Amino acid sequence: MTAIEKVAVIGAGVMGAGIAAHVANAGIPVVLLDIVPNGASDRSVIAKSAVEKMLKTNPAPFMHRRNAKLIQTGNLEDDLGLIADCDWICEAIIENPKIKRDLYRRLDTVRKPGSVVTSNTSTIPLGVLTEGLGDAFAADFAITHFFNPPRYMRLLEVVKGPKTRDDAYRALKDFGDRRLGKEVIDCKDTPGFIGNRIGIFWSTVATRSAYDLGLTVEEADSIVGRPTGVPKTGIFGLADLTGIDLGPHVIASMIDLVPANDPLRDFVDPEHPLTKLMQKMIADGYTGRKGKGGFYRRAKVDGKSVKQALDLVSGEYRAEQKARLDSARVARKGLRALVSHADKGGQYAWTVLSHVLSYSAALASEIATDIRSVDLAMKTGYAWKWGPFEMIDMLGADWLADRLAAEGRPVPTLLQAARGKTFYREDGETLSILGFDGAYIPVAVPADAWMLADLKRGRTPVKRNASASLWDVGDGVACLELHSKMNSLDENSIAMLKEAAKVDKLGFRALIIGSDADNFSVGANVGVALFGANAAMWPLIENAISEGQKAMLGLKYAPFPVVAAPAGMALGGGCEICLHADAIQAHAESYMGLVEVGVGLLPGWGGCKELVIRNLQNPKRPQGPMPALSAAFEAISTAKVATSAEEARDMQILRPKDGVSMNRRRLLADAKAKALQLAEGYEAPKPIEVNLPGPSAATAFRMAVEGFALQGKATPYDTVVAAEVGRVLSGGDTDITETVAEKKLMQLELQGFMNLIRNEKTLLRIEHMLTRGSPLRN
Amino acid sequence: MPVPRPVPNDKGDTVTMRNVVIAGYQRSPFTFATKGALAKVRPDEIAAQVVRGLVEKTGIDAAEIEDLIVGCAFPEGEQGLNVARLIGFLADLPLSVAGTTVNRFCGSSMTSIHMAAGAIQMKAGEAFICAGIESMSRVPMAGFNPAPHPGLYARYPEAYVSMGVTAENLAKKYSISRAAQEEMAAESHARAAAAQAAGKLADEIVPITDRNIRVEVDGCIRPGTTAADLAGLKPAFDQAGSVTAGTSSPLTDGAAAVLVCSEEFADAHGLAKLARIRSVAVAGCAPELMGIGPVPATKKALERAGLKIGDIDIVELNEAFAAQALSVMHDTGIRFDNTNIDGGAIALGHPLGATGARITGKAAALLKREGKGLALATQCIGGGQGIATVLEAC
Repeated sequence: MTAIEKVAVIGAGVMGAGIAAHVANAGIPVVLLDIVPNGASDRSVIAKSAVEKMLKTNPAPFMHRRNAKLIQTGNLEDDLGLIADCDWICEAIIENPKIKRDLYRRLDTVRKPGSVVTSNTSTIPLGVLTEGLGDAFAADFAITHFFNPPRYMRLLEVVKGPKTRDDAYRALKDFGDRRLGKEVIDCKDTPGFIGNRIGIFWSTVATRSAYDLGLTVEEADSIVGRPTGVPKTGIFGLADLTGIDLGPHVIASMIDLVPANDPLRDFVDPEHPLTKLMQKMIADGYTGRKGKGGFYRRAKVDGKSVKQALDLVSGEYRAEQKARLDSARVARKGLRALVSHADKGGQYAWTVLSHVLSYSAALASEIATDIRSVDLAMKTGYAWKWGPFEMIDMLGADWLADRLAAEGRPVPTLLQAARGKTFYREDGETLSILGFDGAYIPVAVPADAWMLADLKRGRTPVKRNASASLWDVGDGVACLELHSKMNSLDENSIAMLKEAAKVDKLGFRALIIGSDADNFSVGANVGVALFGANAAMWPLIENAISEGQKAMLGLKYAPFPVVAAPAGMALGGGCEICLHADAIQAHAESYMGLVEVGVGLLPGWGGCKELVIRNLQNPKRPQGPMPALSAAFEAISTAKVATSAEEARDMQILRPKDGVSMNRRRLLADAKAKALQLAEGYEAPKPIEVNLPGPSAATAFRMAVEGFALQGKATPYDTVVAAEVGRVLSGGDTDITETVAEKKLMQLELQGFMNLIRNEKTLLRIEHMLTRGSPLRN
Repeated sequence: MPVPRPVPNDKGDTVTMRNVVIAGYQRSPFTFATKGALAKVRPDEIAAQVVRGLVEKTGIDAAEIEDLIVGCAFPEGEQGLNVARLIGFLADLPLSVAGTTVNRFCGSSMTSIHMAAGAIQMKAGEAFICAGIESMSRVPMAGFNPAPHPGLYARYPEAYVSMGVTAENLAKKYSISRAAQEEMAAESHARAAAAQAAGKLADEIVPITDRNIRVEVDGCIRPGTTAADLAGLKPAFDQAGSVTAGTSSPLTDGAAAVLVCSEEFADAHGLAKLARIRSVAVAGCAPELMGIGPVPATKKALERAGLKIGDIDIVELNEAFAAQALSVMHDTGIRFDNTNIDGGAIALGHPLGATGARITGKAAALLKREGKGLALATQCIGGGQGIATVLEAC
């Protein structure tokens, strides 16, 4: 297999630059080239400015600013030689077959033997791209299709041609999977592959039908958003986000390529009033968030900023109207309840879903290797919660086929074949999917790439309560799964943490902590604390803190290794769990931080203590007691959240021995492997004692925060909260000549926490967070 | 050889003193901390190159030097240990040349000059290199390990007052408008830019080289800065205040050094004399109004020299803040037109420990260049102090 150790990306547009950035995120050096613009004084200006722009883009294409240094920029005239030692050359230039082929000929003059060339084309078939280029080139060529933005969208569609070398194709897929962390999906060489073929059809049907059925943009988005498992932007919000001008381009290129009888053609009509309205919007610069506005906009009315929406019939903006369709409400009972509802929302949901699900079923065998590929592509490329075939299972294949038949509409062959069955079948511990031939195929679960759901299937947990469970994940390793709402931590979570610290008694030799949820844990359930404080139940709150501390210490000093596997948010108490594990194996997209001051509190479950110790143990920090404390103080007093695992490393939340997994599907397997490695000759850590400077450091922090308050960078209550944080971090009333034990620091945390929770201003902060979802700056 | 002159001391007695002269002045380019060209160069290295440059430029036989006295406001980290001794080694001074580090915050290297002058007068040496250094990139202001006395902070927080707040206090006390501060800051940039363009700064600058870095010119000056440009900035220290980054001296990296020796020594060795030290003084004041420190210090120094402010032809008044410099001018009668004629710290920068040597050396050099008779160099000091030196043409 060809090892990919250096990459080139040709074309520094949004996609090419984003791909280059993500390759850099994997720690791989990458060359980024583009054309020399006419009359440019800096001949590499396109690639250079693309990198500069990405350093300012939000959400950030780079997981760490320093990754930008892995990108070597240049131009195609002077620097083509830079690709000579690249193992993979990814082309992401204009969608024009002739220009692409001309480029490939030039690449062929410099690239090394055995290197792989791929195109990031979203529409052009592979056969067209390799036309006339000879067998040697075709053997080294494939399609790698990323989704925008490449760092965040997990789908990578790959297409091989009849001549593509197997080893090269495998190397690409392996690189995409392990290094880039993508869900790599084999696609057949058809227009738009899987994601865009279905996605463009979906968006076309969803926009047009909203108009035809007389829904407002808010109503349409309230139906086609969360109720059908699509991000809450829905369809019109999504168009604003991606750019309304993009729509006509992609639809035009798809129409050119799809067969004459493709149902997409039924929904594309240049004379349709909505098509006309969108043309006018684009012509007038109303291209969405990047333009003057889109289907939604913010406008100043009487000096106040208000949200407006476009009236699809009149083409005029009006104040946003909250959608109140009964069908959206009943959608909680399931998809069938939604599409069966008689109101226009129900009709709209049925129209969109019946067409999209039929289209998917009709096309699946032509575009994909199996139905699961279709579902995974839509879930990871379009961020759908459920894939088309999962949705058919939710509706019932028979129910759907019957309703289509009753309406006199065609029932796709694959849907007919599924009558009396489901597309996914769970048989004990095995998951099978319905094959195109009507027979079930078991889904293989590789030992090094699985989700917890794969191991939970058909089994019962070792222990379980309402908020958490313990699972046997094999080889003597237990997994603690948090599963409350947003994985917030409550009494039950803490109780299960304590159980988890005793799994050796059940015969386990290591523990991992993680789940399949989007977020590892958003932290302690502060609603409980607010309730307790309002009822002045101080002992109850104090007990919750000290029990949490005991649970954390239990994990830390358990006689077996504990590996935390955060992904998504690991905030507050969630972060504290990770800080008390022997090691962290973090998903690259982990957002970790001690955010308690946002609700007027401080980390009370050992977070202050652990961050101080981690910073004191950082060999790179400058000498003296303060730099370590200052780093911890800054992180905690500003509620700083790392925006990637690499940033968490900068904050000392991750230590050098902690690992990062790029692929979410490999996270728990990697954590398990790390736990097993640590289990060999494991010894629990020795309790740590530290020398802390005490009141003089607390005074230095107070002075700093008072300065920030004067500058307007901190609020009056920030200074109170920060003073408590400073007192804990500096060791309370200790002296630099004395050692402070871990437990003493935790007592200080408890005291500080109790001082703050008794303050009315803290309660106002908590209430604000719970009711409005944002921090109160009091 | 000049005859030692009778000088009245501050009790009115007349004592016979040896003359002390400034016989050379050099400095590094001054560049912005963190983002400037010297940010990646160690401060001891910068200072050593300046010292070496001064020895070469003056032609003094280094073996004749008694002591290398280095001022530094935050003598820790790369400025730590006894950095003066280390700078001596780096500069290849003979091992016989001693070294001591002095801290009086921003007044550190002017203090080093005063120490040398005192030593010369008591015949405790003939020639001294008096230098100053600060890398505000590499050693943060307040140091790596601030550890204020909690009891003192509780009882007398003014002891630790931040510099920006003292400027705000003066702006309020003296009713100095934001516009007046900005006008002065713009003028400082205009003067520095003009001096730089006319090549008037090149003579005093020792280029600094380190690995692949070479820095030859000042980096903080912003030619074309107008008061209107500065009017758009947000207050830097107090959101309700008037002091901005544009009307404050920037955080700066740099070093400066002067050769201080007895006049006999200079004459005997054929050194070019820039100016004679006529009198010196330090004085304390309220820490929360530290910027006014030059007022009592100047008053004492002038009295000791038997002079009035109107007698002074050239002033170097450190511009820690525009509000601070304007307050000092208000109370002393110092006129801006003969003050900081090549620009002040707002434009040039203020590497804390280095500034005293810069403004004293500069005042001496200006006396010679402009052909004037008397000069004053004075500056304020955090914690509430002022320091002043009166110079006369040789």
